[in-house]
Amino acid sequence: MIFTSFSFLIFICLVLTCHYLVPANYRWVVLLTASYIFYFSIKPVFVILLLFTSCIAYFLALAIDFTQRENRKKVYFITSLTLVLLPLLFFKYLGNLSEAMMYLLSLVNISLSFPRLGLLLPIGISFYTFVAIGYTVDVYNGDIKPEKNLGKFALFISFFPLILSGPIERAKNILPQLNSPIVFNYALASQGLKFIIWGYFSKLVVADRIALYVNAVFSNLSMHNGNSIAFASFLYPFQVYADLGGYSLIAIGSANLLGLGIIQNFKRPFFATSVSEFWRRWHMSLISWLTDYVFIPICFIFRKYKKWGIVIALMITFFISGIWHGAKLTFIVWGLMQGVFLSYEALTINKRDVLIEKYMLASKTWFRLLCYVFTFLLFTVSQIVARVANLQDAFFVYYKILTSRGPLFIGTIAYFIYMLFGLAILLCKDIKDEFFVSKYYLLLSRYRLLRTIAYASIIILILMIGVFDAGQFIYFQF
Amino acid sequence: MVIIILSDIILGNTLRYFYFTEGAGLHYRTTYSIEQTTADVIVFGSSKANHNYVPDIFEKELGLSFYNAGRDGASIFYHLAVLKSILKRHKPNFVILDFAGKFDKSRESYERLSSLLPYYEKHKEIRKIVEQKSPYERIKLVSRIYPFNSMLVTIIVGNMKFNRNRKDDQKGYVALKKEWQVDIDSVNVQSFYEIDKNKINALREFIDCSKQADIQLVVVFSPIYYLYNRDYTLDLLHETCSEKNVSFYDFSKTEIFLSNKKLFQDRSHLNQNGARVFSDMMIKILKDE
Repeated sequence: MIFTSFSFLIFICLVLTCHYLVPANYRWVVLLTASYIFYFSIKPVFVILLLFTSCIAYFLALAIDFTQRENRKKVYFITSLTLVLLPLLFFKYLGNLSEAMMYLLSLVNISLSFPRLGLLLPIGISFYTFVAIGYTVDVYNGDIKPEKNLGKFALFISFFPLILSGPIERAKNILPQLNSPIVFNYALASQGLKFIIWGYFSKLVVADRIALYVNAVFSNLSMHNGNSIAFASFLYPFQVYADLGGYSLIAIGSANLLGLGIIQNFKRPFFATSVSEFWRRWHMSLISWLTDYVFIPICFIFRKYKKWGIVIALMITFFISGIWHGAKLTFIVWGLMQGVFLSYEALTINKRDVLIEKYMLASKTWFRLLCYVFTFLLFTVSQIVARVANLQDAFFVYYKILTSRGPLFIGTIAYFIYMLFGLAILLCKDIKDEFFVSKYYLLLSRYRLLRTIAYASIIILILMIGVFDAGQFIYFQF
Repeated sequence: MVIIILSDIILGNTLRYFYFTEGAGLHYRTTYSIEQTTADVIVFGSSKANHNYVPDIFEKELGLSFYNAGRDGASIFYHLAVLKSILKRHKPNFVILDFAGKFDKSRESYERLSSLLPYYEKHKEIRKIVEQKSPYERIKLVSRIYPFNSMLVTIIVGNMKFNRNRKDDQKGYVALKKEWQVDIDSVNVQSFYEIDKNKINALREFIDCSKQADIQLVVVFSPIYYLYNRDYTLDLLHETCSEKNVSFYDFSKTEIFLSNKKLFQDRSHLNQNGARVFSDMMIKILKDE
């Protein structure tokens, strides 16, 4: 049951009805039931894994808190992390690991074959595993007390708006909300509805529309010229932003409707003036998780190497980010590229700051624009690696972009127009939110009629040019 | 909510009106197939049908009127729906079903039924077929805009004078003009897959409807420019046609096409030269039938 399906709309309406019919102190029970029904509807057998992860994290966190002996605390902590990570490692990486080992052995003329594992990846496992790990670390470090109520803890791990694609929430944000009566909050619910509408617009009108074009180009790389491939490559970051950003907004909005506040996940990343700022605006819940639980501890371990310690921490953190995104070499390279960009910035930050201050560049519009463009280009170049099937294709893409010219592939002209139109609206909204915060209110206008017309227009646009299914396709004839 | 409902009704009805006043293009050809054609010979199919059968050649040789009801990306569900609509008002002498696609469990064939949503209201005979798209289709169709999703630009262009005057098709047939440059190679075709019974049943129903209307039906797999060992889809087609006692002609291994890339625009579609050669071959078959 994906968010953009009609069944999800029916599901959320039913959950909302049951949720607010029940007394506030017991609404968490409705949410827990709904979350497990939601996950069960995707693949029943994987509920067992979800339960396993929840129980391991719950009981071992209690054990960590209960025991006074440091050695025992450590044992429980390591056991919890290992057992929680095991399903993720098994389902996501074992197949690729065995293939990688076969490949490496073949390089030294050793022919060994491991049985091919056709494992179906439990949906959401990357997300809820990180949530459970974060909780365990927080308890171990004494940042929070363990949750005593198994049901509320299970809800924290399995909360249905977040389980599939995040945001990756923290115990200190969610558990206090679950431990208080969950009351209807008009402002929160109103915000939630607006997030949902804008989320659907981002996903259906922008992301899925761009995907039609990008898929048509990237699935036929040898048949397209460099101009078309470059254009598709420039569009791809917007597709991912609108897709994951849209999904996050629907998740956050659904939670808001249910009376729960959730952290934001994106903050207009294409207005970042550096890669480090970009990663403070893009997939914020994942980056803050990696910062708190990977980057900072590694920095501490390598602190004697000073700046080079930071470089090591960055490379390891983004290596982990890469493999978390996908169990493929391309994602690892993608992650390492981010690490390289960020390491360069970390090593040169003082010199750059001196230059910027000397020539007062920060206040110059042309400089800021240059920074936006350059940061975007760096991200686009790295996203090519993440988009393609293998590194060979990535090099092929770079080669074609640099050497092959020709007319731009348009595909179905109507779809091309809708794509640009949707993207323009998204960018206009982001520009307004970034640079004109207190001006040009439409969606947040104090005039109710204007607000209503604005939201009605978005809904009408979704109906008119949203991509609802595979009924739309770009028929590419060579 | 009121603004949304009113906007939906006004815009939806406007789109509906202008959809059916388009003078040329894909929508017009679908509307013509469903509501207007009275041709003696009609070919059904997807893009292969649409680009492989030249009406003028058929009309000249057979002395019968011919319409190409093929549509890019259309599935057996689409062909069945169009046939049912045609049979409500007209009985062709010959029907050619150019089959492309598979009988597998992919959702794509169902989702592409969105091309029939504009006809749902007026054509009761296609409703059950369209409702296979999703269990919530009837609810979604409460929206007046929904059937015309992503058609705005095409509807506007379709109603413009220059579009009415330029005829991109010839009695439904759209000619392809390029020549394929790549030499023939082998393709891995799925030897087995899990069958979607709905698709097999749709094919059977297509055959039954034709027979009940006393129409001469021929099922064809038109030429391709690649080699394969064995194609499960073709086996299933063959099996179903034998079971229903319907002639099936398989051109996938016809040498004249496999040895001449210049007859193709790409691996699956004949260009205008190839279409002429193929149409001549089909005429001989129809004459024998």
